Amino acid sequence: MGTDTLTYSVSHRTVLRYTAKVSLSYNEVRMRPRDRGSQRTLAFSLLSNPWAVPRSRVDYFGNFVHRLDVTTPHELLEFSVDAVVENAEPRRRRLSEWDQDALAGDPRLEFVLPSPRVPLGENTRSLWHEWNGDDTSFESVLATAQRIRRELRYVSGATTVESSIDDLLEGGAGVCQDFTHLFLAMVRGAGWPARYVSGYLGPVDEDQVVEGESHAWVEVCGSDGRWLGLDPTTGEHAGAHHLRLAVGRDYGDVAPHHGLFFGEAKGASPDVTVRIARMSNQQVDRVEHHAAVHWQQQQQQQQG
Amino acid sequence: MTTDAGVARGLAFGLPRAADECVDLDGVVRPPYAELLATLERAAATLPQLRRNAQEWFADRGVTFGVPTEGVAPIFPFDPVPRVLSSAEWRSLSRALSQRAMALDLFVSDCYGSQRAIRHGVVPGRLVYSSTGYLRDIVGIRPPRATWCHVSGIDVVRVNGTFHVLEDNVRIPSGIAYALESRRAMESLAPEWFKLAPVRPIHGYTGRLRRILQRIAPRQWDADIVVLTPGSYNAAYYEHQLLAAEMNATLVEGHELIVVEDEVYRRDAEGAAQRVDVIYSRVNSEWLDPLVFRRDSILGAPGLIEAWRRGNVAIANAPGTGVADDKVIYPYVPAMIRYYLGEEPLMDNVPTYDLTDAQQQDHVVANFDRMVLKPVDASGGYGLHFGRLMSSNEASGFLDGVKANPRQWLAQEEVALSRAVCLRAGGGFEPRAVDLRPFVLLDERPWIVPGGLTRVAGDPDELVVNSSHGGGSKDTWVLTH
Repeated sequence: MGTDTLTYSVSHRTVLRYTAKVSLSYNEVRMRPRDRGSQRTLAFSLLSNPWAVPRSRVDYFGNFVHRLDVTTPHELLEFSVDAVVENAEPRRRRLSEWDQDALAGDPRLEFVLPSPRVPLGENTRSLWHEWNGDDTSFESVLATAQRIRRELRYVSGATTVESSIDDLLEGGAGVCQDFTHLFLAMVRGAGWPARYVSGYLGPVDEDQVVEGESHAWVEVCGSDGRWLGLDPTTGEHAGAHHLRLAVGRDYGDVAPHHGLFFGEAKGASPDVTVRIARMSNQQVDRVEHHAAVHWQQQQQQQQG
Repeated sequence: MTTDAGVARGLAFGLPRAADECVDLDGVVRPPYAELLATLERAAATLPQLRRNAQEWFADRGVTFGVPTEGVAPIFPFDPVPRVLSSAEWRSLSRALSQRAMALDLFVSDCYGSQRAIRHGVVPGRLVYSSTGYLRDIVGIRPPRATWCHVSGIDVVRVNGTFHVLEDNVRIPSGIAYALESRRAMESLAPEWFKLAPVRPIHGYTGRLRRILQRIAPRQWDADIVVLTPGSYNAAYYEHQLLAAEMNATLVEGHELIVVEDEVYRRDAEGAAQRVDVIYSRVNSEWLDPLVFRRDSILGAPGLIEAWRRGNVAIANAPGTGVADDKVIYPYVPAMIRYYLGEEPLMDNVPTYDLTDAQQQDHVVANFDRMVLKPVDASGGYGLHFGRLMSSNEASGFLDGVKANPRQWLAQEEVALSRAVCLRAGGGFEPRAVDLRPFVLLDERPWIVPGGLTRVAGDPDELVVNSSHGGGSKDTWVLTH
């Protein structure tokens, strides 16, 4: 653990209230932090109520997926995730543009193409042109992230999880998911591979607690094949307090919960609470100490 | 037969002097048809009765194709004059079909594996990644025996005397039941015709298919096989019933399957749960598992893909094969054959253009009056636009739409399909356009049922040969020598 490492405890609770009793439900959740670069998950637990044994796999985009089949009748389903995640400030690199011929034969081509929630329409193309002219350099990508934050208002409740880029541009207000989709459309239109990142935004100061919702931002890929996080909601680079959960082409690929149920219920309204606390070094030591003690106990049990 | 006599005979049947199914480039009747046409002349008086008998035969057996209206699905139209292929023709055709089916299978395998063909520029990644048939959730899965396209139906047409591929079907190619029934009809209605020439039998198809399904089963010694159908409202429901019955498999709909702890079960007649080993699926992949693909699907069963991923159930054709029969992929099949097999393609495509490529698009626009544009996401011959049938105003408006959405269209040069002799409704003969859908089964080696489904246009002027367009079928004869 370096001096620039920040450690967070994350608690992410999702309650689904069905409109009537459900006899059986199948659920896929993408809630386990995705380690990469400086991000590391020190502890993770996923519990459901009613109880189900989670089975995990890794999806197309490299995200963890847990499948929980709840076979006892239920009217309410709760997922509780508790995790300890550490992260460091990523290096702020300047990305160089792709040679379009090289990109044509590269798997990252997929992230330049339109996706279900990120159509590459005339409106986002002309918006890029209005802001940056014909310049498609990395500087314009950065400027676009900052400009989205300046030109559009962050208003929670202005849009829904199903809102489109057109809805955002018409209303002029939205939340991180909308800004992320808009930014994706603009940078993809300019020839940059870019993907959707879902995650959390933690507090910067020690002992501070953030309560709220999940966060979303963008990763752009340079011609060296490496991804760099840019957050159009803050207008800045993704930092050590950006904790990644999953990546995909757009929200559809990373939605934290997909479910299917049998029964009389018409649907379920999810109620999500996320609580993220910056842990002091002392607390982190305690987690690591507990982990070490637990490991020792296990070893002794196995030997005994 | 002298040339003049041959031409005269062809003309007597209303056949053109140009290349055709029954006559060669000079208008001479082609050898495999010589005997048959002579017989038709001799039996001319009985043919109207034969035609009525055939209609009755199909109605009695309830051979239907199409969506039932008011509870009754339409009877499949049938023409009793067989379509005949010589053994030499069939030999070269079947070699070309095997080659193509193997390349398509390797392509599907590659798309869900290391994607070599994309990295080497053989097939453009932009087309694969934007294909609705490319299913991201199954990348990395390796099905049993590494076979994806257990059955492929490759539509071929004869243009200027030579067979060309018109379209590949590796998702859920249908039609074999109509080919089998067409043969049964002829054997019972005109058994004496089979004495004219030795015709290769086709009844071995269902046994072969069953053997392939058995081989991919997790429990090969005691495989429980089901045919998964979208239900009686599907146009090919008759075929699903026939295949299930002849393969000794159970016909099920998605709601009759349940997945418990990654094992697939069905209820048997006594209500007991039976474990399912193999699903011969006639439901499109996108509808198979609402947990993974289309969330609004009621045609599949939740959890099916995970069961398949873990090897607890086999599915044929494997989910995801749609990436190879996406119409925009078709122009690249010859390149695939060279790339995967290191061979030259034995059969050409009909000249086809990828409109997402600027150069090819220019060519199509410049030669629009020779082109047919097909919508990528439609089948059954719907939505075709013939350049020469449009006014210049219509054409420019239509082409603007195409340029705005080039991924949605495929351009093919309009080709004159060969025509074959058919019985006219009021007596006498008329030529109608035909194509051929042979069925290739992939096991260790490809196996092709001799012949396949010959589809006939609904009337003499119809340009589209498709069962969804009122077309019918003929029995297809492959001669043993």
